Amino acid sequence: MDASIEVHGLSRTFHTTVRRPGFTGAVRSLVNPERVAKHAVTDITFDVAPGELLALLGPNGAGKSTTIKMLTGILTPTSGHARVAGVVPYEERERNARNIGAVFGQRTQLWWDLPVRESFAILRDIYEVPKAEHAARLKEFDDLLDLSSFWDTRVRHLSLGQRVRSDLAAALLHDPPVVFLDEPTIGMDVVVKEQVREFLRHQVTERGRTVLLTTHDMTEVERLAERVVLVNHGRLVLDGTLDEIRRKFGSTWQVRATLADAHTEVAPLPGIALLQRTGPQVVFGPDGPDAPTVHQALKAVIEHHEVTDIALDEADLEDVMRAAYVHVEEV
Amino acid sequence: MAVLHAWRAARVTPLGELHTPPRMTAVLLRLTVQIVLVASLWHGLYADTGTTAGLDRDQAVTYAVLAVLASRMRELDQYAGRDTVLQHMHFGTIVYWYLRPLPPQRYHALRALGEKLYGFAWALAGYTVCLTAGVVEPPKSAATAGVFVLSLLLGQLVLYYVLLVLDQMCFWTVRNNAAMLILIFAQNLLSGVYAPLWFFPGWFVTLSAFLPFQATLNVPLSLYIGRIPLSDAGLQLAVQAAWVVALHLFTRFLWRRAALRVMSQGG
Repeated sequence: MDASIEVHGLSRTFHTTVRRPGFTGAVRSLVNPERVAKHAVTDITFDVAPGELLALLGPNGAGKSTTIKMLTGILTPTSGHARVAGVVPYEERERNARNIGAVFGQRTQLWWDLPVRESFAILRDIYEVPKAEHAARLKEFDDLLDLSSFWDTRVRHLSLGQRVRSDLAAALLHDPPVVFLDEPTIGMDVVVKEQVREFLRHQVTERGRTVLLTTHDMTEVERLAERVVLVNHGRLVLDGTLDEIRRKFGSTWQVRATLADAHTEVAPLPGIALLQRTGPQVVFGPDGPDAPTVHQALKAVIEHHEVTDIALDEADLEDVMRAAYVHVEEV
Repeated sequence: MAVLHAWRAARVTPLGELHTPPRMTAVLLRLTVQIVLVASLWHGLYADTGTTAGLDRDQAVTYAVLAVLASRMRELDQYAGRDTVLQHMHFGTIVYWYLRPLPPQRYHALRALGEKLYGFAWALAGYTVCLTAGVVEPPKSAATAGVFVLSLLLGQLVLYYVLLVLDQMCFWTVRNNAAMLILIFAQNLLSGVYAPLWFFPGWFVTLSAFLPFQATLNVPLSLYIGRIPLSDAGLQLAVQAAWVVALHLFTRFLWRRAALRVMSQGG
């Protein structure tokens, strides 16, 4: 099956003027400006399959938003190419616009002075969505996002959570097969976040939409994404499943067990090290680069030892990503 | 064509205003006070004079009051609606203009059309009241009225393009407040909102002939009151049309260049 999003060797360089410090520096910058090239994105390649939700992660300034802006057609790459739902976005901006929906953080596309429903109606006309189809989709979104409780309110009077839910609906009202979400839940409370996640899950699993999500919220990644692309300094440093990333960077698990016999010998297990032993209490941890996942380790410990109690300590995804970012910086 | 289906974008300003009655009350009050003061001022100025700068008292009062009414088609509170290019650049929401199957220039034009029509409704209501109350004179003939309407339409197009250039400046400068203040002052002065251009010195009138501002208001109002005779209307309309074409081509060029600037400024 063809990928919904194809990115090959995508690069973008910005040229900016260096502002020198101090008054003299400012005058020199004015008279003799020094231009420098900033490589925001360098040679990024990845694909996203139809109906897949991919999390594009990376620290601030890593190049995530620039990548999304190239894929939405706002920005033309310096080199490389991209295709979204079969369209080169920066060459056919208007055609691409019909295939995509986008939400950029807290930046709303709704009309400030109008009730939410009026904004939806304007977008319906812009995207030429038939009225019956529009009404049906609005009903579906209302069921999931509870829009009708505030859609007659003017946008300027909405809470952040209400506005983001409205923006999500606005981005999907024309039924785009591909959706770009740039930190959509930033600043929202946990209840609304969960509602939005449920909505996104529904759009992926039930509607088969392809979603490219950037976020710093690792709970969101954990609950929504199976695959992650990690970028840093504009370069792709990792493309894999969450399990692969955990295996590579999240090797901080511990299995704590209480042995039935306090004097029994602890047999060596492949990739698992005995970290500590106090009588019947033993603590295992990963050993080497081929260490098993925490669940495999748990299974191995139970299979090879008679235990009366067992517990897991696993680094959460945030720890894993922190380790990944630090590793990437060091590389 | 998406632009035909997107007509609702033209409703944004009128709907926003209708949802905010205090704004409409403020407009009504301001317009009333302005018209009363302007009419009183020009009546006072003509108290001891018959004809000045080629205008008699009724012509001058009509010109000045119509200028106030026409300014309603420009001075809408777009900032309150958070839908100016300046604000979209500031908040980074300009990207959405480039994510829709409706080109930004058509969206901008549709929004402006709605604003102009809404402002025109105010101006027309004010004109009807002033005409009934005898504050302004009716046009001298049906031909004058027709030429005035055509000239007013061309003048509004020129004004739209002049304001569009300012909006487009935001793609390069992020802020256009200073330029906007200068332009509003220049437009008021050089188009005849403050006072009919006929009262200014010859060099000033000559200078303003080389600028687009007099085409926005002075020409249609002068045609209405008969200060520009109908026999000269053809030339004046041609000059207005030339400004429309020149500014249209210039702003089209700027839209193309602006598309390359979306990211670096507020994207």
